[in-house]
Amino acid sequence: MENKYRQRLVWVTVLALFWQLTAWSGLFSDLIFPGLDQIFLALLKSLKDGTLVKQIAFSLSIIIQGLIIAAAAALILALTAYFSKYADGLIDTLTALAHPLPGIALMPLILIWFGSGKTAILIVIIHSVLWPLILNLSTGFNSIPDIYTLIAKNYRLNKLEFMFKILIPASFPYFISGLKIAWARSWRALISAEMLFGAINSLGGLGWYIFQKRVFFDLPGVFAGIIVIIFIGVTVEDFIFKKLETNTVRKWGMLK
Amino acid sequence: MKKYILIIVMLFLIIFLASACSIQDYAADQTKLTIAEQYGLAYAPVQLIKELSLLEKADPSLEVEWKQLSNTTAIREAMLAGEVDIAFMAIPPFLIARDKGMKWKIISGLSESPLGLMTNREYINSLADFKAEDRIALPQPGSIQHILLSMAVERDFAEVNKFDDQLLTMNHPDAMNALLAGREVSAHFASPPYLFLESKEKGIKKILSGKEAFGGEFTFIVGVSTEEFYQQQSKNYKVFLEALTEALNFINQQPQAADILADNYNLTAAEMKEYLNWPGMEFTSKIKGLEEFLAFMTAEGYLKENNYQRSELIFTEELVTEKKETVLEGAEQDGK
Repeated sequence: MENKYRQRLVWVTVLALFWQLTAWSGLFSDLIFPGLDQIFLALLKSLKDGTLVKQIAFSLSIIIQGLIIAAAAALILALTAYFSKYADGLIDTLTALAHPLPGIALMPLILIWFGSGKTAILIVIIHSVLWPLILNLSTGFNSIPDIYTLIAKNYRLNKLEFMFKILIPASFPYFISGLKIAWARSWRALISAEMLFGAINSLGGLGWYIFQKRVFFDLPGVFAGIIVIIFIGVTVEDFIFKKLETNTVRKWGMLK
Repeated sequence: MKKYILIIVMLFLIIFLASACSIQDYAADQTKLTIAEQYGLAYAPVQLIKELSLLEKADPSLEVEWKQLSNTTAIREAMLAGEVDIAFMAIPPFLIARDKGMKWKIISGLSESPLGLMTNREYINSLADFKAEDRIALPQPGSIQHILLSMAVERDFAEVNKFDDQLLTMNHPDAMNALLAGREVSAHFASPPYLFLESKEKGIKKILSGKEAFGGEFTFIVGVSTEEFYQQQSKNYKVFLEALTEALNFINQQPQAADILADNYNLTAAEMKEYLNWPGMEFTSKIKGLEEFLAFMTAEGYLKENNYQRSELIFTEELVTEKKETVLEGAEQDGK
């Protein structure tokens, strides 16, 4: 574990150094290739005047809402599919139809049906998250070893008990990996939606921040936005998901 | 450690090679001219250059490439990447990039054009009537439409970003559709031909014109180019300038300009004629309003305090021929 972070640190330093040297070498105009110093100055400036923090909070709040709604919906749909053959056919068809559709392709429709407000972005996020989650959950449910279901029969568990005591815990690793995919996808959906729709409330989110920096020709600002996205992504991956894993599947001895 | 150093060296080598290649490309490209075009009536003289092959006629060895890019930001980025030599845009986006250090200048004016803030809401008759939930569609922050709106808002309410929270970034065709649909968008800061199309629709009215917002006449579109192009390809620069003057003369003097352009804009020749002669539509190389944009944008913090001289922003002033000047004045009087 320690080793992983040390390696990462070394590589980040190497890449940063490389970046800075390239910037200093003057090979590219600093309009195209700003140095890290400029980037961090831009980041500090945006953080200081407070708007960026609010924009981050805004983006994160939409993502969390989207993820919760999508996770709940996916759980219900996947469970229904597990217990009912007909529902399974329907949900399978829907997933097959909708899963390959990028949210951005639906943008014009969403704009007409739901306007350009927060709802629109939420819908793009839910769309891009729901289908991979259902797929993962269904795979998880269907790959539970038969002995588990047989145990449930032995104990004469009813459906609810079976669901909460066996089905969901047993497929938890799939659920977590589904959540990881969902998290990454929701970020992408959010940033592109924000860049397309513009400011949704007075602030807009991170995508809007990047877009604004772009139209005002502020490349260090664009990079500052990108760094924030990377930072949040890594933090969530390394801390929140890790914690979730250690407290559940690792503790239960399902994952080494 | 050795491994890391090796990798760093390799990465550097790759970068050097890549940059060496691109520099070579550029030097070899003396016979090629890339021009970015955008859709809109204000770009009509540029379309004429293309339709009449004025550049190819002036210099048969010249290979002209027309690049269709969707918005000003993309054009700016393409120019920065060295993919585009000459482009056309409004003054504010030019100034914003100039201010950020992009080495480019204005070649010439291209057109003046009526602009208008169009609304589909009955209760909106002036800027003061906008409610907090009313959305205003315009191309993007920092666009001429945005700056004009800010100018008007500053004058009326002494609060430059009053509507910044209500802006919706949309290209003109989308914005027009949204305005006609009448749901999400309450107003659209339109340029021709969208302005003309919208003003023909029932229930849509103009509450603010570009002239009112600006407080006078201003050049809508200018031609811009990088200093690198100006210095390294001065021959092509001159060829282009002559073609542009010719196109401006043609559009102002030759009635068949409308016939030639009609197909290009998917309009009938009669409509094209009507649009080209719409009051306020002027094709001239004069650059008006540069100082005012500069002063306003500096005062409101869109630009740094840099005190630009005109010569720092424009390559060569006044390429207008005498003949055209008189015709233009005649046209102006007709318009009024």
